[in-house]
Amino acid sequence: MFTLPILAEQGVNGLVLGSMYALVATGLTLIWGTMKMLNFAHGEFYMLGGFGTYFGLVFLGLPPWLVVPVTVALVFAVALAFEKAIIGPLMGRPGWDISTVVATLGAGIFLQNFAFKFWGGDFLNVPYMFDGILRIGGMAFAWHRIYILALSLTVIITFWQFVKRTRFGMALRATAQDNEAAVLMGIPFRRIYTITFGLSASLAAIAGSALAPIFSVNPWMGMVPLIKALIVVILGGLGSFSGAILGGFILGVCESYSVLFLSSGWKDLISFSLLIIILVIKPSGLFGAKEW
Amino acid sequence: MEKTPTALLLKHMRVTNPLPMWAVFGVLALLPLFVRNDYYISIITLCLIYATLASTWNLMAGYAGILSFGHQAFYGLGAYFSALITINLDISPWLALPLGGLFAAFLSLAIGLPCLRLRIAPYIAIATLAFSEIMLVVCKNWVALTRGEMGLSGIPPLTGWQWGDWFAVSFSGGTKLPSFYVMLGIYIVAMLVMYWMMNSKVGLALKSLREDQDAAASLGIDITRYKIIVFLVSSFFAGVTGAFYAHYISILAPESVFGVTEMVEIVAITLVGGIGTFLGPTVGAFTLVVGLELLRGMEDYRFMVYGVMLVVVVLLLPHGLLLGFQQTVARLKAILRTGKAQ
Repeated sequence: MFTLPILAEQGVNGLVLGSMYALVATGLTLIWGTMKMLNFAHGEFYMLGGFGTYFGLVFLGLPPWLVVPVTVALVFAVALAFEKAIIGPLMGRPGWDISTVVATLGAGIFLQNFAFKFWGGDFLNVPYMFDGILRIGGMAFAWHRIYILALSLTVIITFWQFVKRTRFGMALRATAQDNEAAVLMGIPFRRIYTITFGLSASLAAIAGSALAPIFSVNPWMGMVPLIKALIVVILGGLGSFSGAILGGFILGVCESYSVLFLSSGWKDLISFSLLIIILVIKPSGLFGAKEW
Repeated sequence: MEKTPTALLLKHMRVTNPLPMWAVFGVLALLPLFVRNDYYISIITLCLIYATLASTWNLMAGYAGILSFGHQAFYGLGAYFSALITINLDISPWLALPLGGLFAAFLSLAIGLPCLRLRIAPYIAIATLAFSEIMLVVCKNWVALTRGEMGLSGIPPLTGWQWGDWFAVSFSGGTKLPSFYVMLGIYIVAMLVMYWMMNSKVGLALKSLREDQDAAASLGIDITRYKIIVFLVSSFFAGVTGAFYAHYISILAPESVFGVTEMVEIVAITLVGGIGTFLGPTVGAFTLVVGLELLRGMEDYRFMVYGVMLVVVVLLLPHGLLLGFQQTVARLKAILRTGKAQ
């Protein structure tokens, strides 16, 4: 059972899964870092990414290079409207930490049941965007999984550079560090918040689109990635960009290897127990969140 | 000092006037005199189940500021524990009700203790959500004990009595009235315990620690102790309610008690009624359960409505129906008195 090819394959599967956790978690940690809020509807942007990909590829029969960017752009637009309608009005009111949790939870439930009502509760299958299998030695890797890994690494690196080098990235970091000081420097923080929220949702949509062929598309597909991403951001330290990425890979690999020891039903216990243990031992996470 | 939405409610929070509470108890106790239909009685029983769950969640989230997303776990633990000991060990369901509560309270420490170190709402929400998901995974996969997804069936109902041949109380079949009164009893006891808590030193301590934990600690308030008391009391009554539900409905499935949807219902009910108000969760339970029952044809939209309602309440009515109503009444009175709108 524990031959080298199996271990290597599981390792790659873990990295693939982990790269997706990293993408979803980066989105969560990004808005925590700037807006100090947690988005419980984050999984629904992932779900919208999955449905967009399904409609584009299967329903309309369009090629992946068109479907993926259009889907992500649409989710970005939905997220902007979401932020304007629901998050904006809560700003400046007391109880920001609780009100945003409840409002996003409600919006997430609405989106799930909206999808259920209008798009149905069936598990929809999406074809691999890249067919074929890569064989190295005795190991086999589906090209689609390699695409996922390459895509997420590209997105993560691009995003990192974007935040580091562009004017917008600088404004974003300034707002995250000190909101009031940023405003005094003439940074329009409301606009920064809205765009950050949109970017965060886009990351989730990319993950949902990439994973649609692996896990089928359905209205509740966002719940598991959301919970996993919540675990990842706490593992990495809420608000930490590097923490979300490293945490994502750690969780992905741990889960992937745990399948060798545990039946898949019990697999989820690993991540939840990991979360509780972190909260007991080191609530600040790997990269030290400031408050918890 | 960090302001919670309930911080504004501070002046409304003192439950010094017990009259509304007794009035609610009285109306509920006399309700069967006017409502004869068994179907209506079962709806009201459901309202009471959710009123108890929401009120005990309110004790945690509204009064102590512990935004728990794991309340359904205590409900489920009480339900499953009570069902399993009556099925397997032949224990009387009447004894199993409090035992289910005690079991839930005992396991609440497993999440209550790790939560003590957490301060900000999102962390507590995630930790408690993880706890309830662990319970769901265990319940689904420990097939030898819980029968997993197949669920438990044939859970014995509460045992009835027979006094002579003219007076009998039966919980199996026939009228739902006895079950209604049992649930009303659980609700009343839970409310009285919380009422007593809120008007004792405990209530004062809870308010202070919700507003500012550090200031509370510096004044010598034992934060740890009070938080644990809240966890124990709140989970105990959620567990008893779960145990009642198990014997009342006689079948259990993991998702029906441990599911996230239960949590959503509890949160929605409390917020609609008014978080941090004593009778708000009860108002919310009757409004939402009866409201959705009236909109039977809208069953498909049930959770869409819940979702929208959470958003709308947070955006437009952050203090819930109860205080919203009181404020409107106060405003109308002021208009009547001064003769002009303010």
